[in-house]
Amino acid sequence: MKGTYLGEFEELVLLAVGILFGDAYGLAIIDELEKKTGRNIMISSVHKTLVRLEEKGYLKSHMGGGTQQRGGRDKRLYTLTQGGKKALQEAKELRNAMWKEIPKVVWETVKL
Amino acid sequence: MKGGTHPKPAPPKWATRFLRWFCSDHLAEAVLGDLEELYERRVEKLGKRSADLLFVANVIQFLQPFAFRKRNYRSTLNQRDMFQNYFKIAWRTMSRQKMYAGITIGGFALGLATCLVIFLFIRQELSYDQQYADGDRIFRLYNEYKGPKGDRWVNIPPPVAGILRTDFPEVEKAGRLMPGSLGFGTKGLFRREDAVENNFEEGFGYADPDLLEILEIPMVYGTTSTALDKPNTIVLSKRKADQYFPNEDPRGKSIILNDDKSRLFTIGGVMKDMPANTHFQYDFLITLTGQEFWSGEQSSWCCWNYNVYVKLRSGANPLALEQKMTVLRDTHFIKYLEEQGDQSAADVKKNHLFRLQPVGDIYLKSNGIYDDMRHGDIRYIWLFGGVATFILLLACINFINLSTAKSANRAKEVGLRKTAGSVRGYLIAQFLTESVFYSLVSFAIALFMVWATLPFFNTLAGKSLTIPWLSWWFFPSLVVAMLFIGVVAGLYPSFYLSAFKPIDVLKGIVSRGSKSSGLRSAMVVFQFTTSIILIIGTLVIYRQMNYLLTTKTGFDKEQVVILYGTHTLNNQQLTFRDELLGLADVQHVSISSYLPVDGGSREGYGFWRKGREKADLPITSQKWRIDVDYISTMKMRIVEGRDFNRELASDSQAAVVNQAFVKEFGLKKPVGEQITNGPQTFTIIGVVEDFNFESMKEKIRPLSLVIEGGGNSVMTVRVKSKDMQATLGSLTKAWNKFMPHQPFRYGFLDESYARMYDDVQRMGRIFAGFATLAIIVACLGLFALSAFMVEQRSKEISIRLVLGATTQGIFRLLTQNFVKLVFVSIVIATPLAWYLMRTWLADYTYKIPITWDVFVLAGAMSIFIALSTVSYQSIRAALANPAKNLRSE
Repeated sequence: MKGTYLGEFEELVLLAVGILFGDAYGLAIIDELEKKTGRNIMISSVHKTLVRLEEKGYLKSHMGGGTQQRGGRDKRLYTLTQGGKKALQEAKELRNAMWKEIPKVVWETVKL
Repeated sequence: MKGGTHPKPAPPKWATRFLRWFCSDHLAEAVLGDLEELYERRVEKLGKRSADLLFVANVIQFLQPFAFRKRNYRSTLNQRDMFQNYFKIAWRTMSRQKMYAGITIGGFALGLATCLVIFLFIRQELSYDQQYADGDRIFRLYNEYKGPKGDRWVNIPPPVAGILRTDFPEVEKAGRLMPGSLGFGTKGLFRREDAVENNFEEGFGYADPDLLEILEIPMVYGTTSTALDKPNTIVLSKRKADQYFPNEDPRGKSIILNDDKSRLFTIGGVMKDMPANTHFQYDFLITLTGQEFWSGEQSSWCCWNYNVYVKLRSGANPLALEQKMTVLRDTHFIKYLEEQGDQSAADVKKNHLFRLQPVGDIYLKSNGIYDDMRHGDIRYIWLFGGVATFILLLACINFINLSTAKSANRAKEVGLRKTAGSVRGYLIAQFLTESVFYSLVSFAIALFMVWATLPFFNTLAGKSLTIPWLSWWFFPSLVVAMLFIGVVAGLYPSFYLSAFKPIDVLKGIVSRGSKSSGLRSAMVVFQFTTSIILIIGTLVIYRQMNYLLTTKTGFDKEQVVILYGTHTLNNQQLTFRDELLGLADVQHVSISSYLPVDGGSREGYGFWRKGREKADLPITSQKWRIDVDYISTMKMRIVEGRDFNRELASDSQAAVVNQAFVKEFGLKKPVGEQITNGPQTFTIIGVVEDFNFESMKEKIRPLSLVIEGGGNSVMTVRVKSKDMQATLGSLTKAWNKFMPHQPFRYGFLDESYARMYDDVQRMGRIFAGFATLAIIVACLGLFALSAFMVEQRSKEISIRLVLGATTQGIFRLLTQNFVKLVFVSIVIATPLAWYLMRTWLADYTYKIPITWDVFVLAGAMSIFIALSTVSYQSIRAALANPAKNLRSE
């Protein structure tokens, strides 16, 4: 369903915004994601995702916290909205529910 | 920057600016911040170069729809409808004011048509000799003589090309052209070996086999490397081959030149016809292989008759070669002079240089380099381009003037549109659309005009221009030009018109067109200044032309028939002459091809006074081989001494010189003096009045006339005839009696003389054309302006009339302002024109003084033209019935 569906990358970005609470801006999110996933993340795809998530209403943003390191420019700081939190929650619950349905047997064969 | 003494490395500015340009504002700041932070990290880790590259890569990554600036609301409106409305309004305005629209468009079209023609002309001129694949390596040799007797010319002694080929490694090929000054000239008789009738042909020249390769002459039959490599071979152009050998490969066929059956020429190949835009125009090239014009000619440095073309190896520096050629001069030429005991060796060593001229420059940039070719002149290109631009500018001014003057009519529309929510930008767009619309219509008309008048221009300018309808660039560039001119002309009016305040307009405060009348006057002055300068230019050029054609001839050029090709009579020449003398109308007959006009034979030598050969520098003088009857046939005036006398055997060693010769040698008593050119010595028996035998641009040079064999290919016949046709008929009959198989070729001396000044005449006519066009455009504008003014003041005029003003009074009232403007124009134009024409005349040695009457005449003409333009409207207003205009109030 469009609107509530969360892609994998979107979910990761949302989670990173949550983790970086209060200081979640583009580059920090990339750093966080690269650290956690070990993947190489394109800066444009992060911004693209942020724009989309904001359009979906999962994130809101404001400008602020400029530093000398960025040519004095402000950061666009993102925070989770209620909707965003709820979407994360739902995603997590969906997973948990599905996890539970996997028969034990599966795990045992894995252990072999 | 915080405390940094040296600036922090920054990412490339243009990338930053680019991102800001395409990226939505919402995102740009944050993204840039992130990118710069990243950049700083990278600079430390990877260095500035890589960081820059990565930064640019990142910016490019953002070229995605999500980041793009969203279009603002304006452009989401339906543009098409708006433009449709603009066009509709433009159309209605045009059709409501047919006269004004007609004048604007007509003027525009005239200006544009002029510009188009000039553009085609310039394009043609600039396209000369651009066809060579290795054009940047092909050069023509020329001589430069520095110092007070400075001169530049292209004739080179025979051995030079060979020396260049063998001794200079940077020269890939060197080839000579002998443009017909030896041999039989550029014109001659031609026939197939198996034909009887001779045909007269032009465009002969002698060429080295290498020349075909150097000039990359495309061949139809044969190859450039082999076509001329055997003695007595000749190549023909395609059109001549088609004429004499239709539908066959003529290679190996024999032809006879000048009825000389003892020497057959074999066709070695056929060249494609020379394109019109090359300086090298020949239909017949005879090989120089094995050719010697007299014994020892090919190895001697005595006589300079060849043009030399070289092709350098790629990478060779022409300037360095010019330097190296001084060695060639010293080891060969100077040595030759010293062997001859010539005193000029030291002077030559100091002043003479062999130089190289790029082949692409030959046509346009040979000013001051003397050769026999027809040239364009880069200065005329500038001049014509400038004049065309000015005429177009005049047309643009008409548009600006009329649309601002008529602004009152549009003011209400502007006010209403603004009230209805239009912003200024829309109105500017509207008026620009309108002017582009005008420009579109004008372009269409202009194209038609060009199409219709191009043949006329072609005869005027001696060109063969065509409209390149089918070239891919033609229509696109027309469209671009149309938009450009539309916008340029519309810019000021659109800003002016769109600035009206709706409240003022709707209240009726906007004064009716009186605003910016100062600017309008300035523009009228500009128009008339341009026109007057062109009028003065035309007058001066015409006067100079007349002066050249009527003065300093020194001989009587009227009623002289020139018969060409008479050397083919061989031993019958004198009999034929006597036959002619027996005709009723014939007064004198002379046999000499050294005509005092363009196309005559020429021979230059260094001359000394007898006995001073080892002491003095030689003075260059022409030596013309004439016969006893020459001076009387030409009716040259003897100012001192006597003419040649048939009875005196000693006259074969005598010379008649011109006044320039006497002056140059500083002879006090010329008659009896002995002069020598080395091998020959002459005694001066007479002095003729100076006459011009070269272009009038140059000073008359020294000349000596001697009785000597040779140069018999032309007869000149002085006739006294009331009916030239009948005279020519009897001449033809006499010729056909002697030479039944040869065409009778004749010309007139005055025509040949006039041909020397072709370019001046052409200039004069083209300039007159320009001046007329400029005046027409300016007058169209003035006419419309006066109409507008009359229209505006119609109530005032009516009231004046009712109160008893006379017709003359009204007329004066309406015209005096315009006349004032024209006076101002005269004042401005006079010094400008004087300066320009003085510069133009500086080229001529014999020139008219620029007298005041030219300016008076031009001024009077312009006032007369302006007055008659304005008076139509003024008189109509002054004679109108005042009741008509006042009735409605």
